[in-house]
Amino acid sequence: MALERFSNVVQLCQALPESRYTAEHHDSFTAAGRACIQEGHCNDVLSILLDEKNQDTVSCMGWTLLPPLIQLLLKKEDQNLPRWAAIFTHLLETCRPKELLIGLLEQLEHSDPHTAAESLHLLLKPLQKVLLRLGSRKASSLGMTLSSVLDQLIKLPLPLTKEQEETDEFSVCRCCIELADFVRPFFQEARQSLSSRSDRDCGLEDELRAELLKFCMKTLSHLLLEVQLRGPDELTESALRTFATHILDGLASVGEHLHSLVFQPVLKRKQVPGFLEEEVRYPKASLASVAHLVFVHHLAADRFPSIFSPVFCLRCNMEHVFLLLSSTEDPKLQKGLELYEESLVRLEDGSLPADLLQIRTFLTVPQNMVKVMTLCPRHDLRTKGLKVFQLSIEKFDTEAKYRLFQYILRTSNHSGVEGYIIKNIRTQIHVALQVRPRSFSFSAALTSN
Amino acid sequence: MTVFYTMTTDQDLLMDGPAATSVIAAKGIDLTPNKDQGVIKVVQCPGFDVERPMIGDRVTVHYTGRLLTGKKFDCSRERKEPFSFNAGKGQVLKSWDIGVLSMQRGEVCTLLCKPEYAYGSAGNPDKIPPNASVVFEMELLSFEGESLTDDGGVVRRIKIKGEGYSQPNDGASVDVYLEGRCDGRLFDSRNVSFIVGEAEDKGVPLGVDRAMDKMQKGECCLLYLKPKYGFGSKGKAEYKIGPDRDIVYEVTLKDFRRAKESWEMDIYEKVNLAPGVKNKGNQYFKTGQYHQAVIQYQRIISWLEMECGTGIEQHQRIQEFVLTAHLNLALCFLRLKDFSHVVDNCNKVLELDENNEKAFYRRGEARLYRNEFGLAKEDFQKVLQVNPANQAARTQILICQNKIKEHHEQDKKIYANMFQKFAEQDAKVCKLSVLDWKDKEEAGRHCEDHRERGVGH
Repeated sequence: MALERFSNVVQLCQALPESRYTAEHHDSFTAAGRACIQEGHCNDVLSILLDEKNQDTVSCMGWTLLPPLIQLLLKKEDQNLPRWAAIFTHLLETCRPKELLIGLLEQLEHSDPHTAAESLHLLLKPLQKVLLRLGSRKASSLGMTLSSVLDQLIKLPLPLTKEQEETDEFSVCRCCIELADFVRPFFQEARQSLSSRSDRDCGLEDELRAELLKFCMKTLSHLLLEVQLRGPDELTESALRTFATHILDGLASVGEHLHSLVFQPVLKRKQVPGFLEEEVRYPKASLASVAHLVFVHHLAADRFPSIFSPVFCLRCNMEHVFLLLSSTEDPKLQKGLELYEESLVRLEDGSLPADLLQIRTFLTVPQNMVKVMTLCPRHDLRTKGLKVFQLSIEKFDTEAKYRLFQYILRTSNHSGVEGYIIKNIRTQIHVALQVRPRSFSFSAALTSN
Repeated sequence: MTVFYTMTTDQDLLMDGPAATSVIAAKGIDLTPNKDQGVIKVVQCPGFDVERPMIGDRVTVHYTGRLLTGKKFDCSRERKEPFSFNAGKGQVLKSWDIGVLSMQRGEVCTLLCKPEYAYGSAGNPDKIPPNASVVFEMELLSFEGESLTDDGGVVRRIKIKGEGYSQPNDGASVDVYLEGRCDGRLFDSRNVSFIVGEAEDKGVPLGVDRAMDKMQKGECCLLYLKPKYGFGSKGKAEYKIGPDRDIVYEVTLKDFRRAKESWEMDIYEKVNLAPGVKNKGNQYFKTGQYHQAVIQYQRIISWLEMECGTGIEQHQRIQEFVLTAHLNLALCFLRLKDFSHVVDNCNKVLELDENNEKAFYRRGEARLYRNEFGLAKEDFQKVLQVNPANQAARTQILICQNKIKEHHEQDKKIYANMFQKFAEQDAKVCKLSVLDWKDKEEAGRHCEDHRERGVGH
């Protein structure tokens, strides 16, 4: 009987020092212990595990009992749930952190999309407890954990409408709240280490910050870029919006300035080709996600200085817009259009000089816009694309408009777009003929071509 | 001092908008070049230095922004972090660029800005209504030249701003006017044209070459160069410059013609030009110009590393170019003692050719320099696996073994002393610390054992 076997092996181990445990002891303990759990002997197992005399054995081998235990706790049907929970808690406090971590993460990784949310709900707090027990050596374990947790979260179907976010059928919102609670103490630790820098700890604390940064970047590109956030006028309380704000706050905790991240495409120093260290540390998609959250949703507004020139913001955002509009996924296209629009509305009409067209993205973004307007299957995106396209034209000065029209006529290969451009040209000629004195002869330039 | 100027500002603003505006306009100076009253400054507290920032300088300020109603919309002090940016480059509001270039270190001032020099008719959707004049209180904490490289070896300060958003890239041909000075003495003054990446051919130092891609047409700037980017430890006899001297070059970029970027070239162009670039790199390597050689080899990689070619033969040619470039880079970085880049490049070679003898050897050398004796020995042993006749590798292995032994001796001595100290203290403390190490070791071992035994699913 499983209980007898378990009892026996535990008694055997009682008499031996840890260094004398053999492979047979380990295997017996594991097999018997798991069978006991599966057979439901919660009281007996609990008393064996709590017994003072068995603590060394438990701390050494107890972690192997996690798999069936966690399965039980996930099912939630058992009437002895409190007992199993007590066993779980005892193991979390007694066994070695690194081994517990392996056990917990293995269970997390085995969940499918249907159980992912419940697994996260059950295991996040225990994981946090175990990681905090690791003290200053937690960085790489934390990184591994965050990566696994995110992989599970990403499996869940994201809410598409405001109603879906409110009902939270697949518990995505709940998971995000729990994830934010999970990382909070680690961000706090990073923040404190930043303000009280001591040379001695530099290495370990840098590692911690690096892992947290990796986590923020992955969340931004894999989760927040896919989901549609609702503004406060649409949804007063939004778990997803709060979560996004926590992530932006988290970036500050690890010493990253939001404006440095958003403006990195223009401000960074030249990178050595082939060594994409910066690109790995700051993935482009993640930076685009930050730009969108800051400019379109105005999150973390008090932390983002408002004294940047609108033209400079546009220059930097064009890189992000280009990335987003190069995607074929609707959520990203939509975000690209929103970011572009938001950057354009801050400019005066006719204020962008032709010089800007020397910058590559000022030509490639219109090309992407043409693709969206002509090829995107969604009608609302095509319409929005056209609206933003026209808005962008308004912002260029006369000479720039002329160059842009030339470029699009040459490269669009689409009669509808060409017709649209010609309509714009007619408008410009009309305007040019009315304004005196003519600073740039639009009609003359055009007829000379 | 802080209290003084805050009170003054608030007092001015306790009056309503128009009244405050006229007070500041009466007391202040119009900073705009065309005197349209767009930016008016009142100095609250003068600076303690005569010098003012130059264009491009990295300036650090504290500021508070308010609407004319007195409402605060932005404040760096509340964030407890000063704000830094490059002055005069259009990164910030027009009024800021104009304002900060007029300030001295330590100065505190108030700027009254018309909407054309601030947020315009669009305003800022978040915080600023359209057509709003705004008031900034600014304190200039510090400023310094713009560092163009990660190691601070090239620092730029711009005298005359250039124009346009296009800049010379590697391979561009540039026409410049140069004035080189060392300790104030002019040693070089000429008009010269060169190819970016190959300035060395015209006797123009690396620092000037590397600054080109940050310059605009028409720009005149001062470049402060450390020896690494100047004339190094050899100095330059014909200019009477000794070893390891800092130099300053005033550079005017008169004109330039960009070279095609990688994405502007088709595969045939790249494959045709690659041998020439490789030869150029080899030339520089032979004459000991390792930085310049690196630039050439990196060009090959940036052109070709993402290319697949249109057929097996072309694909193989491309692979060869890329592999050779990485190997050559590894060698250059060995000479430059930049060991992590040696390892990176060798790793790239091994990704393409997992039995590359030279890559193992050079990586071994780099690791030896970094005192990673175990890893170095492994690399040299791999060399012997690929080519048992490589005597140099055998010698290196012996060196590694000796170094490992040396370090073990050293470690033993250190730990012996440590134990001595512990033994002299509390004996219980000693026992616990030993057990702790053993504990960690065993936890690690157990984890390995458990995973291997397949415990778990």
